[in-house]
Amino acid sequence: MKSRSVLFAVGTVIALAATGCSSAASEGTTLEFQTGLSIDAQLMAAFEEASSDYEAANQGVTIDLIPAGTNYEADMKVRLAAGNVPDILWTHGWSLLRYSEFLAPLQDEPWAEHFNPVLSDAMVNDAGEFFAFPVDTDVAGLIYNADVLDQVGVDPADIVTWDDFTDAATLVKAAGIVPIAAAGKDSGAGQLADWLAPGAYTDDELTELAAGRFVDQPYQDLLDLVESWKDQELYNPDYSSASEDDVARALSSGDAAFAFNPNSMVSNATQYNPDVTLGYLPVPSITGDDPYLIGGEYNAYGLSKTGDNLELAKDFLNFLAQPAQAGALASAVGSIPGMTNATSELGALQDSYDRYVADGTVPLKPYFDRVYLPNGMWNTMVTSTDSVITGQSAPSGALTQVKSDFSSLFGQSN
Amino acid sequence: MSQVTTLPRAGIRRRPRRGRGAGINVFYLPALLIFAIFTIYPLLNGITLSFTNWNGYSAARDVVGAANYLRLFEDETFRMVLLNTFIFGIGSTVIQQILGLGLAVALDRPLRGRTAIRAIIYLPVLVSPVIMGTMYYLFFQYNNGALNDITTLFGGERIAWLSDSQTAVLIIVLVNSLQFVGISMIIYLAGLQSIPTVYYEAANLDGAGAWQQFRHITIPLLQPAFATSIVLNLIGGLKLYDIIQVLTGGGPGYSTNSVSTLVGVAYFDNQSAGYASAMGVVLFLIIVVFTLGLNTLLNRRRLEQQ
Repeated sequence: MKSRSVLFAVGTVIALAATGCSSAASEGTTLEFQTGLSIDAQLMAAFEEASSDYEAANQGVTIDLIPAGTNYEADMKVRLAAGNVPDILWTHGWSLLRYSEFLAPLQDEPWAEHFNPVLSDAMVNDAGEFFAFPVDTDVAGLIYNADVLDQVGVDPADIVTWDDFTDAATLVKAAGIVPIAAAGKDSGAGQLADWLAPGAYTDDELTELAAGRFVDQPYQDLLDLVESWKDQELYNPDYSSASEDDVARALSSGDAAFAFNPNSMVSNATQYNPDVTLGYLPVPSITGDDPYLIGGEYNAYGLSKTGDNLELAKDFLNFLAQPAQAGALASAVGSIPGMTNATSELGALQDSYDRYVADGTVPLKPYFDRVYLPNGMWNTMVTSTDSVITGQSAPSGALTQVKSDFSSLFGQSN
Repeated sequence: MSQVTTLPRAGIRRRPRRGRGAGINVFYLPALLIFAIFTIYPLLNGITLSFTNWNGYSAARDVVGAANYLRLFEDETFRMVLLNTFIFGIGSTVIQQILGLGLAVALDRPLRGRTAIRAIIYLPVLVSPVIMGTMYYLFFQYNNGALNDITTLFGGERIAWLSDSQTAVLIIVLVNSLQFVGISMIIYLAGLQSIPTVYYEAANLDGAGAWQQFRHITIPLLQPAFATSIVLNLIGGLKLYDIIQVLTGGGPGYSTNSVSTLVGVAYFDNQSAGYASAMGVVLFLIIVVFTLGLNTLLNRRRLEQQ
């Protein structure tokens, strides 16, 4: 009798627990869309509008647009490891190198013929496959506040070497304005290194890097340059605690002159002050070569190859890839569309585009860490550069860290 | 009428019925199951991962033997972070014992509003470390930080408190100590209230002063409380994670990381899940050694005093 009571009690507990696991029956189909965007991003608003249109045309379909937390990459890694890949996810420049084994190839989709060939180096593998729909073709340079430079008598077109830049920054500092705004709290040091590195290495040295042999001197030169700006107090004094939002505010209010960020920084800054005049210029080269722009994949979205809703997700991407939709999405980030049959409004960056990009004479280099460093080196770039900016480490010490991580991560990924 | 023979009551007690305890055991099986799933399995899985080169998300992984453990010996960053971890663990423990004991002694005496004061001191324990860290981040940050606003109010210069690694480490120790000092205070208060007052009365009659009473009565009789409080604080300090993430994110560079936060960096950012697991195993062993060693030491001292 007693044992029956015990069994009854245990059964009751299990039954109660099980009721907590039951879910309500759902109607229709919901596509989980991990946007990688903040809730107030302009691209998020554009996706909301496009999703509403798609839902209206496809009754029973819901596009669940999920904004990103601060740990988007870590969250995605956990979900990939668990085999729980979202229907649609932001690939933030890593559709090929990190995510491709989990994503459906898209080169046979109807819109694929309009895929911008500029993106091929970063997004297409040797078999001709690519794994994400590119909202934009990211082209970035050294962001400047034209109003501030005008105030101190500097023409941005005259900045073609790092000496020119340092002279301009010194004039800005003399005017009581922060020359370089960087977001130490949001990996701003890594972006600084990513912008400088392509111009620190020669083509032969880049080949060595790609083959897994770290070349010291160019990276030492890069870190020396970073340190020289620290010694001249050219960085924002709140560097360590500054977020990207702080940098956007500083640029928008004329409290900072330069920033090393993707163009989404300009969109964010103009949200704070629509009247501010911002632009970008080609990044000077440390080796003395011609200045260059940085570009490749940034806002791109892949589809889970194992997802139950793959065909529906492909249909949604087809909808987004239509010229009008693709153009509206690219306009929201102020970038060139990823589709060659779409056009976008570049807003504040139209002048910079016309001057440096339209004629194709300025070389476009890929994001350094994605192409020449092993997977996982981004954090090392951030922390090593950060330690130099904050004076916690000499360039030689930071270089040792980069070299050590390069060696161990290259060994791990090959 | 049949005759019913009953056993003497004492006899029943001496002969436990088979299966009487087994029924009770069923009730703790769910807890045991949850413990096995969420603690034992991850621990064993983590140990297994530490012998692989897994990147943390891909299906592919190779066994690399003890390579991850050997790498720890050569990794200067890990050595620095290990030192930080000891500073967080030992520093926080020392501060919490001194403050906790002082507050407990002060608030053990009749004092107007002492219940409210105890509650206020204990309140931060109930707050999430993320919230506590954020509050102090807003206090110490360069622009709009309360401390710098006060400094500039009096004509001083703004100071980047969290940009210097040594200052930042000390701030982390301080914030952690202030948050959890309430636990030490409560443990010592319980210990103080278990000391019979007759000892103090006898000491008074013998002419012992307050310090002598504290030194020769309070401290020896608080030995069990010391053991509990020190071990709890030490484990918490060695595992410190949330406050560091919110206050400094481990920066500048790697300079304010603890082993716990560096595990996250290695696992998610550097995509070295195998190496991160090796760090986690080492941290686990350090905590086990510290805890067992300290427990043995404090118990031995207690037995010697008895």
